[in-house]
Formats: sequence, structure tokens, C-alpha cells
Amino acid sequence: MEVTILVQATDRSFEILEKARERSRQVLDTAARLTSESQAVHRKRVEAIFKGARQTKTEITRFTATFIILFGFWLLLSGHYDLFHISIGVLCCGLVSHATHDLLFANPRAGDMRVIVKRFITYIPWLFYQIVLSNMHVVRLALGPKNLIDPKIIEFKTKLESDISFVTLANSITLTPGTITLDIRDGVFYVHAVSKKTAEDLLTGEMEDRIAHIFMEADHVYVQDTLDIAPVFVELK
Amino acid sequence: MSGVNDMMTKQSDDVIVKTVSRLLIPFMQIYALYVIAHGHYSPGGGFQGGVILGASIILLVITYGLDNALRKMSEKMHIIMCSTGAIIYAGIGVLCLILGGNFLDYAELDQILHVGIAQARSLGILGVEVGVGMTVMAAMISIFLDIVTGGLHSKEKNIQGKRA
Repeated sequence: MEVTILVQATDRSFEILEKARERSRQVLDTAARLTSESQAVHRKRVEAIFKGARQTKTEITRFTATFIILFGFWLLLSGHYDLFHISIGVLCCGLVSHATHDLLFANPRAGDMRVIVKRFITYIPWLFYQIVLSNMHVVRLALGPKNLIDPKIIEFKTKLESDISFVTLANSITLTPGTITLDIRDGVFYVHAVSKKTAEDLLTGEMEDRIAHIFMEADHVYVQDTLDIAPVFVELK
Repeated sequence: MSGVNDMMTKQSDDVIVKTVSRLLIPFMQIYALYVIAHGHYSPGGGFQGGVILGASIILLVITYGLDNALRKMSEKMHIIMCSTGAIIYAGIGVLCLILGGNFLDYAELDQILHVGIAQARSLGILGVEVGVGMTVMAAMISIFLDIVTGGLHSKEKNIQGKRA
């Protein structure tokens, strides 16, 4: 009799203890959750303030840049430079750059835009020279003996990084007679070359180096880079 | 229904096509607006410009998927633009009628614009062309969207709700 009472009492005390522990754990959990939530909310708010400021700033820069480029294009097309047509132009450029300012400058990079433009312009004459050279080669192939023609598909992994440099390289390859870019998959170029010489010219990678130099990619140290930097050192001295 | 879902998310996987169309679309749109705005001086006009404008949006749908394109310009916006353009066209015509001329007799617009008959005709043509351009653009896009989704894109909200 006494033993059963004792056992029951022990059981009950254990139950009470268990319940108390459960309650306290719940309370602690709630407290912890509330603190972390409030912290997260606070952090998010701070982040939103900073990010919002940065976002509006980049958006304004993008909008202005797009507007200037498009307005130049409009003036080139229009040919009527009276007040009426120019005001229509401003209106249209404003509309289009509002709608498409995230398209023209989709991935703004840290690199200086002016340097890229300057280097790109100096790249174009070299590309024309290459086009003339391969034109002469293809003429020789077409008029010369048949056994020089050896079409094949070559593939190479590029060291370039961004979409825009991929596209520049692919279009440069296609513009050069004798080679055509078929596809780009995960940084691997598939190129059709009409003869052994064109394939070898491509695989030396000079074109790729020059494009890496334009877009300042792939840790590419080029002679021109040091030449570009030289004036800065002179000024520092 | 799965076809629509595919179309909503599907983007072109070709980096060349995507980048080149991204760079070309703003210039296409400016060219389209140039064709509309200079229709009274040179070849072109509302219809041609509207078609080019519609084509630029269609290019966006093909390369970046329906989702992204509709975020730029919702379906409701298409319907509003389609009807606004028609109202501008008919409104200018009826305005000439009210002012005592024939339908679309722009010379009568001089009574409210006071810029001379020749200039009034020029402005009237420009207004009509803007209306035609808006309607044609919205109609081109609507036809394309209807063909491409089998007429189911008006249920976009339900689909997006189900996915979320």
C-alpha cells in the first residue's frame, strides 16, 4: 500500500518535472526565435536601405548612358534638326531608355568603360587586316589544288569570362573567312575551319588574347597594359 | 497547360543570340519610333513603325522568355494600348468632322491649333500615325502571344500562383 503510494508520488513528481522542463524549453525557444527574427528584420532593413540607394544610383547611370547613346543614334537617323523633331527625339529616347535601360547595360563590370571603348576601336583595324589575310588564303584555296581543302570542326576551351567577350570572339571568328563559329557551350567554342592553316591560326589564340585585353579579363598581361599604365607611374614620380 | 508553363520559363540557351538581341532591341525600338515620327517626311509611317516595334518585343519574348517580356509590358497594357491607338485615330478623324470638314480632313485642325494649314496637316498626320503605330504594335504582340501559347497566356496569373 505504502509502496504504491510512494511509486505514484514519484511518478507524479517526474511528470511535473517533465512538464516544467517542456515549458521552459518552449519559452527559451520562443525567446531565441524572437531575438533572431528581430535581428534578421533589422539587418534586412539596413541592407535594403544600402542596396536601394546603390540600385537607384546605378539605374540612373544606366538610364543616362542609354539615353545619350540612343539620342546620338536618333540624330544620326533623323536629319531634321529643328526644335519640333528634336523634342520628339528626346521624348522617344526617354521612353525607350526607360523601357530598356536594363538591356543595354545588363552586366556592368568594374572595368572602365572608356578604356574598353578605346581598345575596341583599336582592335577593329587589326580585325580588318586579319579578314584581308584570310580572304587571300581562301582565294588561294578556291583557285589552287583541291587537296589543300581540309574541312574540320575544332573545339577549344576559352579563357574569356563574360558574355560580351564570348560574342565578340565568336563574331570575329565568323567574320574571318574560312572559319565559322558553330556553337558555344559552357565556354567551349566549336568552330568549323576550312583548311589546316585557318585552324592553326585560330588555335594560336592571338584573337582571344586581344579580346581578353579589350575587356580586361582572364588576368591577361599584355604589352599594351604596361604601356597604358606607364603615364600613371610618370605622374606619380 | 504544360506547354504554356514551358514557354513562360524557356529562354534561348545560345549566348550569342541572347547578347546580340539584348544589344539590338533598344536600337530597333528607336528606329521604329523614328519611322513613325518621320512618316510625314520620308517613307514609312504608323504601320511600318508599329510592326518594327512589335518585332522588337517579339524578339525579347523569343530570347528571354515570356515571363521577362510580360514583366516589361503586361497583357493589360497591350489591350489598353491597342484600344487607345484606335481611339486616337478615330478621335482625330471625328474632330475634323466636328470642326466642319470631312473625316480626317486635317486642314480643319487649323481652327484649334492656329499654326497654318500646311503645319496643321503635318501635325494631324503625325497624330494619326502615332495612333496607328500603337494599335499595330499591340495587335502584333497579341497575335504572337496567342499563337505561341495557344491562347492560354491570359491565365498567366493562375499559372504563376500554382508555381509559387
